[in-house]
Amino acid sequence: MAAEQFDPNESKYAASARAFRDNVSRDLGNDELRDNFRGAMDYLMDKRTKAFVDGDELETLREQCKLIKQRCLLKLPHLLEQLEENLQANGIQVHWAETITDANDIIAQLITEKNGKTVVKGKSMVSEETALNDYLEERDIECLESDMGEYIVQLANEHPSHIIMPAIHQNKKQVADLFADNIEGFKHTTDVDALIGEGRRVLREKFCNADVGITGVNFAVAETGTLCLVENEGNGRMCTTVPDLHIAITGIEKVVEFLDDVPPLLSLLTRSATGQLISTYFNMISHPRQNDEKDGPQEVHLVLLDNGRSQAFADEELRQTLQCIRCGACMNHCPVYTRIGGHAYGTVYPGPIGKIISPHMLGLEATNNLPTASSLCGACGEVCPVKIPIPKLLLRLRKESVKPANDETTVMKGEGSGRKKIEAVIWQGWSLMHKYALIYNTSMWFATRLRKLMPKKVGVWTSVRTAPKLAPKTLHEKIKARNKTRSAQQQNTIATQNIGGK
Amino acid sequence: MSTDYQIKSNAARSSIINKLKKEVAGADYDKLPEELSYQYQQLSKTQQVEQFIGHLEANHAQVIKLEKQQIPQVVSEQLKQRGIRTLLYGMQAPHSAQMAELDSYIHAEVFDFNLAENKEKLFNQTPAGITSSRAAIAATGSIVLWPTETEPRSLSLVPPVHMVIVDAEQLYANFSSLIREQQWQDNLPTNAILISGPSKTADIQQTLAYGAHGPKELLVLLLNA
Ligand code: SF4
Repeated sequence: MAAEQFDPNESKYAASARAFRDNVSRDLGNDELRDNFRGAMDYLMDKRTKAFVDGDELETLREQCKLIKQRCLLKLPHLLEQLEENLQANGIQVHWAETITDANDIIAQLITEKNGKTVVKGKSMVSEETALNDYLEERDIECLESDMGEYIVQLANEHPSHIIMPAIHQNKKQVADLFADNIEGFKHTTDVDALIGEGRRVLREKFCNADVGITGVNFAVAETGTLCLVENEGNGRMCTTVPDLHIAITGIEKVVEFLDDVPPLLSLLTRSATGQLISTYFNMISHPRQNDEKDGPQEVHLVLLDNGRSQAFADEELRQTLQCIRCGACMNHCPVYTRIGGHAYGTVYPGPIGKIISPHMLGLEATNNLPTASSLCGACGEVCPVKIPIPKLLLRLRKESVKPANDETTVMKGEGSGRKKIEAVIWQGWSLMHKYALIYNTSMWFATRLRKLMPKKVGVWTSVRTAPKLAPKTLHEKIKARNKTRSAQQQNTIATQNIGGK
Repeated sequence: MSTDYQIKSNAARSSIINKLKKEVAGADYDKLPEELSYQYQQLSKTQQVEQFIGHLEANHAQVIKLEKQQIPQVVSEQLKQRGIRTLLYGMQAPHSAQMAELDSYIHAEVFDFNLAENKEKLFNQTPAGITSSRAAIAATGSIVLWPTETEPRSLSLVPPVHMVIVDAEQLYANFSSLIREQQWQDNLPTNAILISGPSKTADIQQTLAYGAHGPKELLVLLLNA
């Protein structure tokens, strides 16, 4: 089997992903939650549309960015080496981790070496992937989320429900209640400016005193050894400017070859994500603090995480998953995501991207249900800025999930785990039936004649549907009968005409 | 001496790199498809300035056109309007000398201290900071800062009001042309920053709020426009 090296069970997300169906029933029944998502998705879709007024520009950019990412992936091992070399030459230290535990361990040790007690964290989905907060908390290191959305989610003891807007599942009233319960002296208000002001007050104190700043990375530039961060709030800049130690963590697929690759990717990222031409801040870090500089971290570290990415990389089709620049547009446009919300998936990355990346991180056994939770409407593939054929990859994962045991190719951890004996037998029968006319016709004849014996309840399927009734005759029979009458009629007409003609 | 996690990290490194190399062995990098880029319409200098101002204002920044000698007067006025009496500035910026000419009502102070020992001062007693800029981008309404030891990066981040002096002569059409013309790949600084408005967030019910963690106000003093 491929990728035996990582153990999916070490992630707490495997269990919640397994509970997908239950999660869905729970969240579909929550009207307030559904309202919150509907409102948010409509808003984000509208923003994106308005950011791409020129269709030609959008399509050229998408094609260009797809090719950039594909080039960078094809050169990935070399670019990672080049990135490491240039970062080190710049004074930034590089660490590698295959599993989430190893990544957490590196970070924890870097912090303890410096006697760090408090951490402020900028938004990083990779650190959610590793469940870093829990890991540090267990080692008595306080790790505070500083992105407003992440801060809310952390206060509520939840996970982000969206990769760009983590607290999208909550409305302002819910946030106000949360603040009232958790922040001393907070005067209850649903005024958003006041709520943000309160978050600002609490967090600025933390920025001022934290020992360590942890962030993600949007693009790591191999050519120059530069870490690029995209953000609006300024918390990322705080985390990378004020504390003495800055640790960045990212997936190995985030490296780009040239600095010149960055502007088109950045432009598509912010416009696809929130409809902004550019984010408020674009922060490019190439060194720790230099000799005479008066601020900035003394040490900068980068942790590069695999966690199943090299498994996706090994298959040329599935490798496209790694083109993702994490804009979130696929979830904003997904009819399933909009209805069930981000938490139902049970994974770190929800929505269409979550369905294609999570199986590599958690194994297909835990995530079998995800690729099936799609109507294959194609919206995700159409909006994806780097043209990942998401619907095609979903089909591929469905196939991997039911792969027969005697298939000798190995593609991913947990492949074949979704295969059910009974389903396999039914499909075998189905294909036999469609191969041989005699079997087909006989079984259809019986099915229609014995239709009264059809069960009214067919498992889960009829829990929300009425079972269909078979027609008394098959379409084939009906057409045959119709053709018969027609030719009889024609014969009659010809006969009549002949008589008339005489 | 290598610590435990360094040994592990080295092992992870070879394992990852080897796995990846195996998959792309023999790939022909000369046969990659050509990456076309979109040809944006060329704008005149005046149009670029308009575009720059338009985007910044749409993003809630205030833009004031002025001449170099007017800097002390305009800065004084703007601070007065906001009831601000303290301004922090960099040591050797082009406008530094002019800070001596500010209205006597304002106490202008030079950022010549180490942040680590003066966090309290910067976070709680500095209502405004003024910086220079290295370039600006018309297509996105962005200001480019390359902070230095004489103009530290927290100066444009921590004080609630950030004033920045931008010269219209330094305006580039877009980010790509800026990187190419200034050859950034050869000499990136410790930290380069693009700023396109005051700090903001829409994290609570998609409602835009300014002054999330960084400056609540961005005041652009535009020269030669
Ligand atoms: S898969 Fe495409 S649309 Fe979805 S987050 Fe990634 S880049 Fe964006």
